[in-house]
Amino acid sequence: MTGEGLELYIHSQGAKPKIAVVRPHEVLRDVLVREEIVKQGQDDVLIFVGEWEEALSEADEIDDGEDKHSPVDILLTVEVLELHRHRHVHVHKCKRVAVEVNFNGQTKRHRFSPATTIAVVTQWARKKFKLDGAAGAEYVLRVCKTDKQPRPGEHLGELVAPPACAICFDLVKEITPQG
Amino acid sequence: MDKPDQRWFEADLATAEFRAGALKGHWGLAGADVLPQQPAWPARVLWMAAAPRPNAPDRYFVQLDLSNYRTLPPTGTFWDPSTNATLEVDRRPKGRSDSRFAKVFRTDWEGGRAFYHPYDRVAAQGHPDWPKDQPSLVWDSNRTIVDYLEEFHSLLNCGDYLGL
Repeated sequence: MTGEGLELYIHSQGAKPKIAVVRPHEVLRDVLVREEIVKQGQDDVLIFVGEWEEALSEADEIDDGEDKHSPVDILLTVEVLELHRHRHVHVHKCKRVAVEVNFNGQTKRHRFSPATTIAVVTQWARKKFKLDGAAGAEYVLRVCKTDKQPRPGEHLGELVAPPACAICFDLVKEITPQG
Repeated sequence: MDKPDQRWFEADLATAEFRAGALKGHWGLAGADVLPQQPAWPARVLWMAAAPRPNAPDRYFVQLDLSNYRTLPPTGTFWDPSTNATLEVDRRPKGRSDSRFAKVFRTDWEGGRAFYHPYDRVAAQGHPDWPKDQPSLVWDSNRTIVDYLEEFHSLLNCGDYLGL
């Protein structure tokens, strides 16, 4: 908070998140235009608020499940959208990010909200592969065919670049420093 | 006038990534409630939240030497703001035997003055093979204090953390 302003964290594809200080009566669209996140009249992006964790309650037997996170109406105000509670705003062209996680010759799939953190995807994957609990603590996600291990706080929407609304991870054991 | 490394650090404290983590209670700069004032640059005291464990604190402080930040990684270890000294070994977080947690926070190396991890300057400089062995954890100038805090905060909140 700055004075009476509310600090929001605005995430968009392929960019570092930005901070916007807003007032309760402001219309979200006006905030996003002012912050140069979207252009006036732009209607080809979806806006999600909050951070989404629905996949963590998905039953183990479900394969290729899908989150139900709905985009919001950006003509609503900060107050009506309850952004004092949600804080995070995600601007993305993908309604869902199709995630594949490979481990031990098996693949698990889920279509996540772009507002899902890597921490949640990792937790979901450990659960799906029965690695939850202490035994799973050292397993992390690595983007397939790369050395990139996204930070737990990164959101899926920041990692994918449309038109590809999909990403593949390998679940790998973090290397223990030696030597 | 602030030095370039200090300006980088302070700019990174103002980013959405750092502030969102602070808002969630994951980490922060030690405040006046525990430390009358921050030490002179290039030192800074920060804290990271830890998973609840019986008789263990809900956060741990670290004092970091941030010389040449971001070009070089930080170095430092757990800190006791009440004594303004390195945290005694018996009050440091303990991990499951032979786990990555136990290795990273080991106290039998360099007198426990640094973390045994590629994001620690002392450890990285002493292990030239680590970039080849752990390419995803190479510190470069694109890394920030948020990478550092997320890495160690994750360890302090994993199943291998046992408490004191």
